[in-house]
Amino acid sequence: MGAYFQNIKNGFKSAFEGMSISFATMFVRKETVQYPEVNISTNKTIAEKYKGTLMGMPANSRGILDVNLSLCTACQICQKACPIDCIVIDNVKCDKTKLEDEVGNPVLNRFTQKEALKTRTVTRFDINAAKCMYCGLCAMACPTTAIRHTNRFEMNTESQEALILKFVSEEEKARAEKKANDIEAEAAAKKAKAAKEEKVKEKGAEE
Amino acid sequence: MEAILISIGLEPIPAKIISMVIICVVVLLAFVTIGGVLTWVERRISGFMQARLGPNRVGPQGVLQWVADGVKLILKEDLIPDGADRKLFAIAPYFCLIGVFGTMVVFPWGKGVIVADLNVGLFYFISITALVVFGVLMAGWSSNNKWSLIGGMRAAAQIVSYEIPVGMGLLVPILISGTLSMGGIMAAQGWLPWDWMVFKSPFTVVSFIIFFIGSLAEANRTPFDLPEAESELVSGYCTEYTGFRYAVFFLSEWANLFVMGGLTTAVFLGGGNLPGVLEDYTILSILVFLAKVSVIIFVVIWLRWTLPRFRIDQLMDMSWKYLLPGAFIAFLGQAIYMLLTQHLPIVQSVVAVIMFLVFVFVLIRFIIRVRVNIREQRIPVNSPASDVL
Amino acid sequence: MTSALKTEYLTINMGPQHPSTHGVIRFILKTDGEIIYECDPDVGYLHRGIEKIAESVTWQGFVPYTDRVDYVCAMNANLAYCMAVEKLMGIETEIPKRAEYIRVIVCELNRISSHAIAIGAADLDMGAFTPFVHFLREREHINDLLEIACGARLTYNYICIGGVNNDLSPTFLSKTAEFLDHFEVVVEQINRLISYNQIFIKRFANVAVVPAKMAIDYNLVGPNLRGSGVKFDIRKDKPYSVYPELDFDVPIGSGREGTLGDCYDRYMVRVEEIRESIKIIRQCLKQIPDGESKAIVKSTIKPPKGHVYFRTETPRGDTGYFIYSDGNTSPVRLKIRTGSFTGMSIIPEIARGVFIADLVAIIGSLDIVAPELDR
Repeated sequence: MGAYFQNIKNGFKSAFEGMSISFATMFVRKETVQYPEVNISTNKTIAEKYKGTLMGMPANSRGILDVNLSLCTACQICQKACPIDCIVIDNVKCDKTKLEDEVGNPVLNRFTQKEALKTRTVTRFDINAAKCMYCGLCAMACPTTAIRHTNRFEMNTESQEALILKFVSEEEKARAEKKANDIEAEAAAKKAKAAKEEKVKEKGAEE
Repeated sequence: MEAILISIGLEPIPAKIISMVIICVVVLLAFVTIGGVLTWVERRISGFMQARLGPNRVGPQGVLQWVADGVKLILKEDLIPDGADRKLFAIAPYFCLIGVFGTMVVFPWGKGVIVADLNVGLFYFISITALVVFGVLMAGWSSNNKWSLIGGMRAAAQIVSYEIPVGMGLLVPILISGTLSMGGIMAAQGWLPWDWMVFKSPFTVVSFIIFFIGSLAEANRTPFDLPEAESELVSGYCTEYTGFRYAVFFLSEWANLFVMGGLTTAVFLGGGNLPGVLEDYTILSILVFLAKVSVIIFVVIWLRWTLPRFRIDQLMDMSWKYLLPGAFIAFLGQAIYMLLTQHLPIVQSVVAVIMFLVFVFVLIRFIIRVRVNIREQRIPVNSPASDVL
Repeated sequence: MTSALKTEYLTINMGPQHPSTHGVIRFILKTDGEIIYECDPDVGYLHRGIEKIAESVTWQGFVPYTDRVDYVCAMNANLAYCMAVEKLMGIETEIPKRAEYIRVIVCELNRISSHAIAIGAADLDMGAFTPFVHFLREREHINDLLEIACGARLTYNYICIGGVNNDLSPTFLSKTAEFLDHFEVVVEQINRLISYNQIFIKRFANVAVVPAKMAIDYNLVGPNLRGSGVKFDIRKDKPYSVYPELDFDVPIGSGREGTLGDCYDRYMVRVEEIRESIKIIRQCLKQIPDGESKAIVKSTIKPPKGHVYFRTETPRGDTGYFIYSDGNTSPVRLKIRTGSFTGMSIIPEIARGVFIADLVAIIGSLDIVAPELDR
C-alpha cells in the first residue's frame, strides 16, 4: 500500500523537477549558428553576430590541404607518409638552389635545423581531396611546411575529377622538364669531354 | 447565418442547407489552419526548450513552415504498399479526421459562440472522438507491415482503456453543473479563478488531473505516444503512409491537441467567461478562451519534451489501477461534499479560495526552482576570460 | 502465457535501418505479440576490414584508422594502439611525463563525451528527446576543446607512437578548467531531468538482470561488467600510463532502484563515471609537469620481432590490441578486441521474455556501437 502512494508522490515530484528544468532552458542563450550569414571559419563574424557559447574554428583546424611550391624540395616524404596514397608527386632534376621565403630569409629544415637545399623540382603534385582523410600525417612529416592544412572546409564541385587538386601547371611542368633535359645534356657533354681528355692523357702516357 | 440568408430572400430550406455548408467550410478552414500553425508552434517551443531555434526561415520567424511542409507532402508520390488492403488503406486517415473534426460542432469558442449547443454536447464530444480508434486500427492492419500492426494494436488498446478515466473525470463537473451541454457547463462557472470548476473542491482538482492525463493518452502525446514511438516503431501505424494521406494523419493529430485543450478549458477553466461589465463583447470572450487554450497547449507541448514514454503494460497499469480508482474516489467524494455543504454556500466559496491559494503556492515554488535552474545553466563556458595566450 | 487457443509466433525483422539500434545492427525476433521468445542478432553490416588494412600501411599510418574503429571515443582507441606498439618497441619508459599527462587529459575528456552520447542515446530511445540535445550541446564544447588541441573534432590522430603530436597551449588548459566548472553543474541538472525521473526508472529497473557470474562467463567488460557488481577496472587493477598517481573511485552497480545488474545499474555506472572523469582531469590539470611532448622516435619505425597484447580501459570496456610483427614496416597481424562484441553476444540470453520496448532499453544500456562491433 505504501509503495502505491510512494509511486504517485515520486511521479509528481520528478515530473515537477523535470518540467522546471525544461522551462528554465527556454531562457538560456540559443546555440544555433545561422550558417551562411555567420561564417564559422573566421572568428570575427562569430563575435559580431552569434550569441551562443560555441567557438569558431581555431587556427590549427585540419581542413583542405594546400601546397606552397616555393617551399617544396620534392623530397616525397609526404607521399610516403600518406596512408591512403592520395598524394602523387613526380620530380626531375634541377639546379641546386637555396630556398628563401618572402622576405629573403633562408628556409630551414624543421628537423635538422640546417638550410633546406633543393636539388629536384616537382613536375606533378596532385592531391585527391576526395580521398584525403584529413589526418595531418603529411603536414607533420614535411620538413619545410610546404604542405599544410588550411581551415577551409567548403569545396563543392560539379564532378569528382574537379576534386583532384593539381598544384603544378602545364607550363611550369614543361619548363622544369626542359631545364632537366638541359642539365642532363650538360652533364652528358661534360662527361664526354672528361672521357676524351682521359683518352688523350692515356695515349700521351702510352707513347 | 440562417437568419441572414432568409432575410435576403431565400427559401428556408435552401437557406438552411447553404448556411450549413458555409459554416462547415469556415470551420474546416479554421481547423486546417490551426493544425498547421500548431506544428510550427510546437517546433519553435521544442527548439527553445533545447537551447536552439526552431524553424525560422520560411516567412517571418518561420510561420509559413507548415505551408511549405503541406505543399511538399502533396507533391509526393502516393504509394500503396504491395499486399496492402487498398480500400481500408485509403479510408483509414479519414476516420481519424472525422473523429477530430466532428467535435467542432459543439466546440464553445466563447460565450454564445457555438455552432450547435446540443443538450448532450459533452456526451457527443466524447463519443465522436472514439472514431479515432477505427482509423488507427485500420491503418495499422491494412499496411501489411508487422511494425504498423503492433503500433495499431497498441493504439487501440490505449485509446479504449483511457476513454474511461476521461469519462469519469468529466462526471464531476457534470455533477456540479447538472447539465451535459457545453454552454450550460460554461455558464455554471464564473470569470474569477476560484469560480472555475477546477478549484471548487479538492475532488475537482483530482478529477481535473485525471482528466488531463487521460486526454493526453487520447491524443497519443508523450508520455503516452507508444503507437507512434519513433525510436521503436519508426512511426507506428502511419509508417507506410506518404504524401497527402500522411498529411491528413498529421493534421488530425495536431488539431486533436487543440480540441482537447478546448474541452479542458471549457469544462474546467471557465473558458470564455467575462466579468459582468464586459458581457457584451463576444470578441473579448473568444480571445479569453483562446488565451486559456494556448496555456493548456503549451503545458501539453512542455510535457512532451520533458518526460520519457511508458511501456504498454505500465500504461495499462496506470489506467486501470491508478486513474480509475482515483476517479471513483473523486466522484464519490464530490457527491458527499456537495451533500454536506448544499446549504452552506459560504463553505464552498472558502474551500474554493483555499484550493486556489494552494495552486498559487505550488506555482511560486515552481518559479523559485526555475530561477535556480536558470542560474545553473548560465555558468560561463568558453567565455573571453579564458582566452589566455 | 499458455492457453488452449493455438497461436503462432510473429517473426519480425528489426532491420539494419532502425532508429534505435545504434548503427547498423540487425535482429531477427520471434515474438508472441509484444513478448520476445527468441532474439537472433545478425552482425557484420559495418565491417570495413580494418584489421586487414593494417597489414599494408605503416605503423604510424595506421593511427588514423584506429580513430575510425570507434569514432565516439577516438582518443582512447589511439592510445590503446600507440601504447601497444610502444610496448612492442620497448620504449614505454622513455615517454616524457608531460606527454603521459596530456594523454590522460584528452582520453578522459573523450570518455566524458562518449558516456554523454551513450546516456543521451539511451534517453532518446526511451522517448525523452531533450536530454540528448543537452548532452550534445555539452559535447560540442568538448569537441571545441579538442579542436584547439589537435585540429580535428572527431577523428583526432593526436596520440602518436612516442607521445602526442603537438603540445597543449595554455588556452586549452584554462578553457578546460572553465568547462569543467560549468559541466559539473549542468550534468547534475540533466540527471535531475531524466535519470531520476520516475517513468524512466520504471522503464529501466528490473529489466534484463545480468548476475555477476553470467557477466563474467559472457566476458562482459567495462560499465556492463561493473553494473553487475564486479569491481574490475583496468585503470586500477592493471594500471598503465600515469593512472597509479591519480586518485579516483570505480563506481559499481548496487541495485539502486531494482535488482543488482539490471539496465538501470549499468546506466547509472556511466553517469557516475562522468563524475569520476571530471575528478581525474582536475587532478591532471594541477599536476601536469613541464617538458617535452614527444619522445625522439625514428621516422621509419621497425619494431623488433615479437608479439604483444595490450589492454586499456576505453569507455566501452576493455579494448585490447594483439600485434604480431616480424621487423617490417607493417604489422603481420593485428587484432582488436572490443567490448561491444561481447555485449552483443549476451543479448539473446537476456532478451527472452521481455517486451520489444525493453529490447530497445537493453541495447541502450549495454552501449553497443556498431563500428566497434564490426570493425
